[in-house]
Amino acid sequence: MSAIEFIDVKKQFKDGDTTIEALKTTNFKVEKGEFVAIIGPSGSGKSTFLTLAGGLQSPTEGQVKINGENFSEEKEKTRAKLRFKKIGFILQASNLIPFLSVENQLKLVDKISSKEQHLSKDKLFNQLGVSKLVKKYPEELSGGERQRVAIARALYNDPTIILADEPTASLDSERAFEVVEILAKESKEKNKAIIMVTHDIRLVQYCDRIIEIRDGLMVEKDAEKIKQKYAREEDNEN
Amino acid sequence: MFLAWNEIKHAKLRYSLVMGVMFLIAYLVFFLTGLAYGLAQDNRTAIDKWQADTILLSKEANSNLNMSMIARKELDNVDAKNKALLAQTPGVIVDNSSEDNEKIDVSFLGIEADSFLAPKIVEGKMFASNDEVVADSSVKEQYGIKIGDELSLSGNEKKLTVVGFTENAKFSVSPVLYTSINAFQEIRFEKEDTSENARINGIVIRGPLAAYPDDLEKISVGNFINDLPGYSAQVLTFGFMIGFLIVIAAIVIGIFVYVLTMQKQKIFGVMKAQGISSGYIAKSVIVQTFLLAFVGVVIGALTSILTSFLLPAAVPYQNNYLFLIGVSILMLLFAVSGALFSVRTIVKIDPLKAIG
Repeated sequence: MSAIEFIDVKKQFKDGDTTIEALKTTNFKVEKGEFVAIIGPSGSGKSTFLTLAGGLQSPTEGQVKINGENFSEEKEKTRAKLRFKKIGFILQASNLIPFLSVENQLKLVDKISSKEQHLSKDKLFNQLGVSKLVKKYPEELSGGERQRVAIARALYNDPTIILADEPTASLDSERAFEVVEILAKESKEKNKAIIMVTHDIRLVQYCDRIIEIRDGLMVEKDAEKIKQKYAREEDNEN
Repeated sequence: MFLAWNEIKHAKLRYSLVMGVMFLIAYLVFFLTGLAYGLAQDNRTAIDKWQADTILLSKEANSNLNMSMIARKELDNVDAKNKALLAQTPGVIVDNSSEDNEKIDVSFLGIEADSFLAPKIVEGKMFASNDEVVADSSVKEQYGIKIGDELSLSGNEKKLTVVGFTENAKFSVSPVLYTSINAFQEIRFEKEDTSENARINGIVIRGPLAAYPDDLEKISVGNFINDLPGYSAQVLTFGFMIGFLIVIAAIVIGIFVYVLTMQKQKIFGVMKAQGISSGYIAKSVIVQTFLLAFVGVVIGALTSILTSFLLPAAVPYQNNYLFLIGVSILMLLFAVSGALFSVRTIVKIDPLKAIG
């Protein structure tokens, strides 16, 4: 059973009289334990793809399944519940709630689903290196710290799927590598499916698969080749 | 509750300001309620003291005690277990014992000392002769009249000596002076009339009334109070002011909550993308509104209670705990209903926009 499956998924938008095909008919699967990078120029349909995968919008045609459940045909209420349990979102600008301290960001999850088992907060904070920041508010954190807390928040309810929309956009290279490394480790150790949309081609060395979206069309790339190419370039630079 | 409270704690200034506005409106409502209640009480406490059910007035009097004239002997034609003669006239007194000769507007109630209309004496004794009078204690507090003081009447030769005080005896916003029926004759008509045709104003009945003469009109004490000159107008005026203020409070807090909700649209969108339901977010906004309103109303209520101790006795201000609680509950209900129209906005927030 695939973690995410797109079956003949198509998404169109109306813009005045013209119809824009944000995503052309797509068949696509991500298995548990896979770390997939989505690359492509802006406006190519990357975000559309991610929001379809996260059930934030419904496809015009076709079906999106997560863990075998037909996700895209459910009502928003059911989708929200599934999202809450099964999907962790990591957004471009951190998705933290400004008036909650770091530890309360996670406590909020407890309040909403008190019956569910969650990961240990301390362990998670330790793992992400933010255990000293638990009393601080997002505005007091640096971009990197904020993003790491956002990852802690996304991992906290132990989702099977993590969707990351340019999680490194606001970070310097060092921090960016750090964050992607954490995600890669998570996908291998906890057997999670991770889809990361990124502009930064250097980060793909941590990914198992690379998919390029161009004008709404998804093309699977040869990951090894791209990785080698970038590895060589870096060597040359050195 | 978790979200609501943590946000209030985090943005202390913003939320204290909202609470401050709520407090000011609540205080204004409570203050007006206190004034309205106090003024209403000043119209009627003397009547409430009777603990009576019915009053008989002459038919042509149109519920106006002063205009009703009944012969004393009519009392015998009224078939009721507890019945009492009542005579009333407004008057102006001057305290001869004080030096400034201040004139005081009062209301004389002529009663029989042994009837159930006789007030409870808190100081001194009940009047025993036609020259003695029992006064409402407010004349003591406000004008310094003491037991033993001799009062003279404006436009009248009669002199009266204060022999006792009672509490909470006001009629049409004037302090009441209780005299005998005979003394009343001298005050009102300037001559004694001990005959059975002596004129009085009404007959008060406590409990069941079996039969009464045809030329008298039976009025319940409740209606009699409502028909006191000016009483309904005052109560209605204040009632409308208080009612509108409560509605305005609801609108003001509704607008605050709406603006705050609009500001937090993006945050709410992110929360929805994470799968937090609109219901949870809406609940937290409503709980937050309730908390803000609750704190404002409670501080308002406490301040109004404090105010009642600081105001001079001349201000007819009186707190009634039943009204205080009732108005508080109304304000809270209305404030929360003001928050309800933000719920629609929350439901309509598209999580997609928060991400894009």
